[in-house]
Amino acid sequence: MIESDLDALYGELCRTLSEVGEAHAPLLLARFALLAIEQIGDPERVRALLASARHCADG
Amino acid sequence: MVTRAFRNYPFVPERHAAQLPALVRGVDRQRHSVAIVGGGIAGFACALALASYGVRSVVLEADDTVCVGSRAICISRRSMEILARCGALKAFLAKGLPWTGGRSFFRNAEVLHFSMPHDGNQRLPPMMNLQQYYIEKFLLEAAQESGLVEVRWQSVVGAIEEAADGVRVNVDTPLGSYGLSADWLVGCDGARSVVREAAGLKLQGTSYEGKYVIVDLALRSERATERLAWFDPPTNPGSTILMHRQPEDIWRIDYQLRDGEDSEAAVRPENVIPRVESHLRMIGERDDWAPIWISLYKANALTLESYRKRRLLLAGDAAHLVPIFGVRGANSGFEDADNLAWKLALVIAGVAGEELLDSYSAERVYAARENLRQSTKSTEFMSPPSFGFELMRTAVLGLAVEHDFLRPLINPRQTQPVSYLDSSLNGSSVGEFSAGPVPGSVAQECPLTLFASDGVHESHVTDLLGPRFTALYFTQSAGVSRELGHLEQALRASGIPFRLVMLAREHPANGSAGCAWDRTGRLFPMYGAAPGTIYLLRPDGHVLARWQRGTAEGVRNAIAHTLHASGSHSKESAQ
Repeated sequence: MIESDLDALYGELCRTLSEVGEAHAPLLLARFALLAIEQIGDPERVRALLASARHCADG
Repeated sequence: MVTRAFRNYPFVPERHAAQLPALVRGVDRQRHSVAIVGGGIAGFACALALASYGVRSVVLEADDTVCVGSRAICISRRSMEILARCGALKAFLAKGLPWTGGRSFFRNAEVLHFSMPHDGNQRLPPMMNLQQYYIEKFLLEAAQESGLVEVRWQSVVGAIEEAADGVRVNVDTPLGSYGLSADWLVGCDGARSVVREAAGLKLQGTSYEGKYVIVDLALRSERATERLAWFDPPTNPGSTILMHRQPEDIWRIDYQLRDGEDSEAAVRPENVIPRVESHLRMIGERDDWAPIWISLYKANALTLESYRKRRLLLAGDAAHLVPIFGVRGANSGFEDADNLAWKLALVIAGVAGEELLDSYSAERVYAARENLRQSTKSTEFMSPPSFGFELMRTAVLGLAVEHDFLRPLINPRQTQPVSYLDSSLNGSSVGEFSAGPVPGSVAQECPLTLFASDGVHESHVTDLLGPRFTALYFTQSAGVSRELGHLEQALRASGIPFRLVMLAREHPANGSAGCAWDRTGRLFPMYGAAPGTIYLLRPDGHVLARWQRGTAEGVRNAIAHTLHASGSHSKESAQ
């Protein structure tokens, strides 16, 4: 994945979250996380990513 | 409560008197080739660039001074190159503060340290900070020095009428009103352009809700010149703050208003001063400071669909409004002027058809859309337009401390030259090129040694450009065929400003005046060139065509195609 892909995907994710609205966004992200787990395929990797997401700078 | 007395900018603008030209029955006796409405950056840059081609113009400015207050402060390398070609860069370099990058912080952590493209091949910094009043003053001085620009202050343009062979405008001054006729009218009269209105053209695009307070202040500090950004800083939770150094111990601080904050109250000194104070204390500035100017900013991302309507041309903010993030506002005004001037000059000289001006519109509308695409991304990050952008930005900023791959999303995407890859003016790229700028893009910078009639100088590729077409002819040792040798004379005889510059791989024999040497050995590989290669550059420094083995005929045909190409069609030839 190159920088412009990241750029475009970031924008699409932002717009999608705004479209479904604040109330439905957590569920959308939860579904996305489950789908991503399947794609990642490695349980240890998934645990490490979850820990990173949990312990990032803003807690 | 913190209070601070206001101070003035350390710049006192000269006030200019109104004047009436010699009139015949209420009309300016002189018919003008080019009248420019608006004496701001775009207007003065247009006048100055036209003067470099020997074209006279009259600038009609409503005010009696150059601008005051907090306006543009960042000049890009591309704008500096344009100023250099107009012979006006010296004053800017003497006063401006060069810079190359910046840093962004999320709460207490640094999340980005970025650098703009800069290497040992460059002669100019990627960016320079200079207040707009100085930018306009230096442009005005250079324009006046040319002897080809007449500036009329306190001259408000009212009614504009189009005629078959030109434009007639009504000018109101404190001394009375008069009519003025011009062959061409260039609207550089900003966001509320009367020329745009007269042309019946409408700005289209997006206006953003997020508001920024912009504060210029006086502060003595040792802090470096760089772009600084703080997201959600501890002393101003929820806010985004930007900071830039300007010459003469002036600093700019921008901060975003919180949702629902009353903007009228937000710009009152009693509300601004404590926020600025707490920010300065947080970053360790202990010295006294004084506010100078407070204003409110809302981002617009708008452009016209065309910058030409017959004899009316639009440039700068009259043609497009670009969000401030990424500094594309004033800089795109310079690029408009640079693109328009050579085309208008060649049309006025009768060397090119009027349709060349359609390519001004096509290329600069394309550039505006590219600028808007980039600055919209910056704006969506700096000033999230909705819940999704807000949430995702918080996620990015939190993760970016440890996850480098997210950092490009925080980068302010500073302005870069736009390539006109699909321009109808472009000629072909003939032969295999392993590297080098393709037709439509700007020439790449590289140091070289220039052998001139007055001696040997360390120089750069962009020094070779001037108000003319330039053919860069790569040779082994400064030899040139008879046809190429005669080309300069032949083109000039038909009124086409042109120069052939030989770029020698080997140190050229003594006496090869007007020839440059690839002293570092970097130029040939950078341009994918071999002896015999030609790059033909437009007067604005964009590549028109290139040939691995060039000929005089190829150069002549490419220039002829440019002078008579229609801007409404894409080029047919493949690159």
